[in-house]
Amino acid sequence: MAEKTVGKPIKRTEDPRLIQGLAHYVDDIRLPDTLHAVFLRSIYAHARIKSIDTTAAQKLPGVVAVYTGKDVAKIGPVPCAAALPDLKVPDHRALASTKVYFVGHPVAVVVAESKSAARDAVDLIEVDYQELPVALDEEKAADAKSPVIHEQFGTNVAYKLTAGEGDIEAALKSADQVIKQRILHKRLAPIAMETRGVLARYYPGEQELTLWTSTQIPHLCRTQVAIMLGMPENKLRLITPEVGGGFGSKLNVYAEEALMGWISMQLNRPVKWIEGRRENMQATIHGRGQTGYIEIGFKKDGTLTGLRYNVFADMGSYFQLLTPAIPTLTGLMLSGCYKIPAIQINVTGVFTNKMSTDAYRGAGRPEATYVVERALDLVAAELKKDPVEVRRKNFPQPNEFPFKTATGLFYDSGNYQGALDKALKMADYTKLRQDQQTARKEGRLMGIGVSTYVEICALGPSAAMPAGGWESATVRVEPTGKVTVLTGASPHGQGEETSFAQIAADELGVGVNDVTVIHGDTAIVQYGIGTFGSRGLAVGGTAVYLAIQKLKDKAGKIAAHLLQVDASTISFAEGKFTSSAAAGKQITIQEVTLAAHVAKSLPEDMEPGLAATSFFEPKNFTFPFGTHIAVVEINKETGEIDFQRYVAVDDCGKQINPMLVEGQIHGGIVQSMGQALYEEVVYDDQGQLITGTLMDYALPKAIMIPHLELGSTETPSPVNPLGAKGVGEAGTIGATPAIVSAIVDALAPYGVRHLDMPLKPEVLWQIINKKSAGAA
Amino acid sequence: MKIEGTQKIDAPRALMFAALIDPAVLQKCIPGCEQMEKTGENQYSAKLTAGVGPVKGVFNATVSLEDIIAPEHYKLVVEGKGQPGFVKGSGELNLTDAGSATDIQYTGEVNVGGLIASVGQRMIQATANMLAGRFFKSLESEMKAQAKLPADS
Repeated sequence: MAEKTVGKPIKRTEDPRLIQGLAHYVDDIRLPDTLHAVFLRSIYAHARIKSIDTTAAQKLPGVVAVYTGKDVAKIGPVPCAAALPDLKVPDHRALASTKVYFVGHPVAVVVAESKSAARDAVDLIEVDYQELPVALDEEKAADAKSPVIHEQFGTNVAYKLTAGEGDIEAALKSADQVIKQRILHKRLAPIAMETRGVLARYYPGEQELTLWTSTQIPHLCRTQVAIMLGMPENKLRLITPEVGGGFGSKLNVYAEEALMGWISMQLNRPVKWIEGRRENMQATIHGRGQTGYIEIGFKKDGTLTGLRYNVFADMGSYFQLLTPAIPTLTGLMLSGCYKIPAIQINVTGVFTNKMSTDAYRGAGRPEATYVVERALDLVAAELKKDPVEVRRKNFPQPNEFPFKTATGLFYDSGNYQGALDKALKMADYTKLRQDQQTARKEGRLMGIGVSTYVEICALGPSAAMPAGGWESATVRVEPTGKVTVLTGASPHGQGEETSFAQIAADELGVGVNDVTVIHGDTAIVQYGIGTFGSRGLAVGGTAVYLAIQKLKDKAGKIAAHLLQVDASTISFAEGKFTSSAAAGKQITIQEVTLAAHVAKSLPEDMEPGLAATSFFEPKNFTFPFGTHIAVVEINKETGEIDFQRYVAVDDCGKQINPMLVEGQIHGGIVQSMGQALYEEVVYDDQGQLITGTLMDYALPKAIMIPHLELGSTETPSPVNPLGAKGVGEAGTIGATPAIVSAIVDALAPYGVRHLDMPLKPEVLWQIINKKSAGAA
Repeated sequence: MKIEGTQKIDAPRALMFAALIDPAVLQKCIPGCEQMEKTGENQYSAKLTAGVGPVKGVFNATVSLEDIIAPEHYKLVVEGKGQPGFVKGSGELNLTDAGSATDIQYTGEVNVGGLIASVGQRMIQATANMLAGRFFKSLESEMKAQAKLPADS
C-alpha cells in the first residue's frame, strides 16, 4: 500500500528532466528536411504598404519561398473569441497586405533551407511604406481628433461597456466623502522563458497536418487553426510538447501557427519557426494597459458606499483571442474582498498602434485588485485611519458566504479576517508600525503596505466562458496495474504531472510513480479546454478525480463479482476491495484490473477494460484570497528600495501539493515586484518599441527579490469535490498593491498618497529630493 | 530624440556657411558618408554607413537643405532607410560671428525605427553626440585645409 500524498509537498516529477536538459520543447523536435521560416516585420507603427519587392530575397541561395499578404489571403482571420455587444472586430490576417498597424506586424515570411539563409533573405525584401500618423495612448486615441487606425470604423473606440449593480450616483451622493484618483496600469510583457515556436509537417498521402506548437490550449488551438486553414479538424493533430512558460501569452491562437501549417501544405515539407526574443517583445501579446479613473465614496467611519471605475483599455491594433474580454474581468472583480453596495465600471476599449494586449497572469484581475486596494489606502489616508482597520471594517463575515457582490458574482467561500490576522501576526504588524515611528524620527523612509485580495479562479462555468469552461480527464488502469491519466488541461509549468498523479494515486491506492499523466497531444487526449485562469487543478484535477470515481464504481462491481458478494457490500480503501458480507476476503485493484482486461469472468453485460472519462462542468468560479504585507525602506540617496520583510498568507482552498502552491506564490510575487518596480513596455512617440530587448525591459532578477515569508489558511471551496480553488495567479494579484502601498507609505511624510508604477529609483529619488529642496 | 549644441570653428562666417552647404564638404565631413549626389536644387541622395552599438548598416538617404538664409541659417533634412531600420532627422543651423571665427549653433530632432530603435535605443543619444562631434572635427580640419590653399586657387 502506497503512502497517501495529497496535501504533502512532494517534489515535482517533471523536474529531473527539466533540470538535466532532457525535456523536449518545440525547437528540440528535429525532423529531416525541415525548412526554416523567418518573418519580415514592420518597422513602422502605422503605414501604408505601397509595394513589396521580394525578387532579391527569392534569388538568394537556399531560399525556397517568400510569401506576402496577397499569397496567404486564403488563410482565415486570426480568431477573437470574446463576444461583446457592438464590438468592432478588425479583419486580422496572417500577414499584413495593405497597411501595417504596429512595429512587429508580420509583412512577409521567408522559407529557406537554413535559418541563416532565411534571415539573410529577409534583409533583401524591399518594402515601400508610406508613413501614417500614429495613435498610441489609449486615452488620447479614443478622442475624435486622433488619427484613426482602422479606417472602416471611423474611430479607435472598439467598444464601450458599462457593468455593475446598485445605484452608483446615489451611492456616491450618500457618501460623506468621495475620492477621485487617476490610475495607470502600464503595459507589461509576459516574457515566457521559452518564446513561441511552431513546427508543422504535412503528410500529403494521408492529407494530415501535424503541428507542434507551444500553447496553453492545444485543443482550442487545433479547432481554430483548422478553421483558419479550412481543413477538417480531425485531420489536424496538434502536439504541445514541453512548454517553457506561458503566463497567458500562449492562451492564444497566433497567425504564425496557421501560417506554418499552410506553408508545410504548400511545400510538402516540414517547416519550423522559432520566435526570437525581439520578436517575442514585439509580436507576442502584452498584458495590462489601462488608464483609469477611480471614484470611491465612503462614510466617516470608513464604510464604503460605492465605487466607480472609468477606464480606457488599450487593445493594441488587433484583437487576439481574448483581447476585449480582459477588462470585463477587471469589472467583475471590482468589489475586492469588501462589501460595496454599488459598483460601476465604464470600459472604453481603444485601438492603438501597438501589439495586442491579452491575458497576462491575472488577466484583468490584478488591475481590479490594484484599483480597489489603492482606493482603500486613499480612504484610510484621508480618514487618518490604519489601512488594516478600513479593510477589516468592510469585509464580509465568514458566515455571509456565498457572498453576492455588486458585480454580479457569488464568492464561494471565504474567511478574509482569518488570512489577515495570520499575516498580521506573522509580520508582527503592531511592532512594525512602532518601528516605523522610530524610523521616521530618525529620518528613515520606512513603509508598510497591506493588501487584502480576492481573485476569481477555476475558470469557469461554461455559461461564462467563450468556448466551454469544463475540463476533461480519462483515467485508465492498464493490465499491469499502472495508471494512465489523460488530461485536457495541458500544463505549461503548473506541475500537473505531479499533482494529478497524487490525486490518482491516493484515490486508487497506488504510488505516485505508478501514474503517468499524458497531455498536449490532440491525437491521444480527448478534447479539453486548457490551462489558464488558475483552472488546471480545480477544474482539470476535479475531472481526474471524478473519472476515477466512475472507474472505481466499475472496479467495485467486478470485485464483488470475483468475491461473489453483492456490489452494495463492497468498499475500497488502500488499494483493496473488501466486502462487509465476506470478512477477511479482499481483492486488490491490480487483481481487479487484470480480471477486467483478460475478461474471463466479468459480471453479466459488463464491458471489459478499466477506463473512464469525465467532463467536469463547474457550477461556479472559485474565489481564493489572502493578505500580503510588504515592508520597505527607501534609500534617500539613491531612491532604491530595500525590502525588509515580505509576508504573504494565501488561501487557495485545499492544497494538493503545498510545494507547488509555494512555487506558484513565489513566481507570482516576483512578477508583481517586476510590475510594481521595474517593468513597463515602452513605445516612443512614433510607436517604436523602445523596450525591444531584455537589456531594456527590466525583469526582476533573483538578487532583487527578498526572502518571502509564506503562510496559508485553508478554506475549502464548495464548488468542487477537491475543495481546491486555484493559485496560479494569486501572487500577481495580491502582491502588486502591497508593494506600491508600502512605498507610498514610506513617502507619506512627503505628502504622497498615490504613485503610478513602475516605481523606479529615479521616480522616488525625484520625490525625495524635490520635496527636500522645497522644504529647505 | 533631440540633439543640440554650439561649436566654434576658426573660420569667417561667409566661408563657413559656404562650406556647410557644399555637398563636397558635407560628404567629406559627415561620418560614414560614402557618396553624395545632387538630385535637384539643394537636394542630394547619399549613401551612409552608420551604426549604433552592434547595429550597423548602409542607409540610402535623401538630404535636403531648406530655408537657406546665407550666411546665417539653414535647415537640414535627412531621411535614410536601410537594413537596420530608418533614420529621420531635421536640424536647424544658425551661424553667428565670434570675432574672426564662427559660432555654429545647432538644434535638431532625430527619429529612428526598426532594429536601431529596438536594440540600439539606449546608445542613440551618445552615438548622435559622438557623430556630431566627429562632423565638426572634420569640418574644422576642412576649414584649416581651405585656409592654407592659395587665395587664387
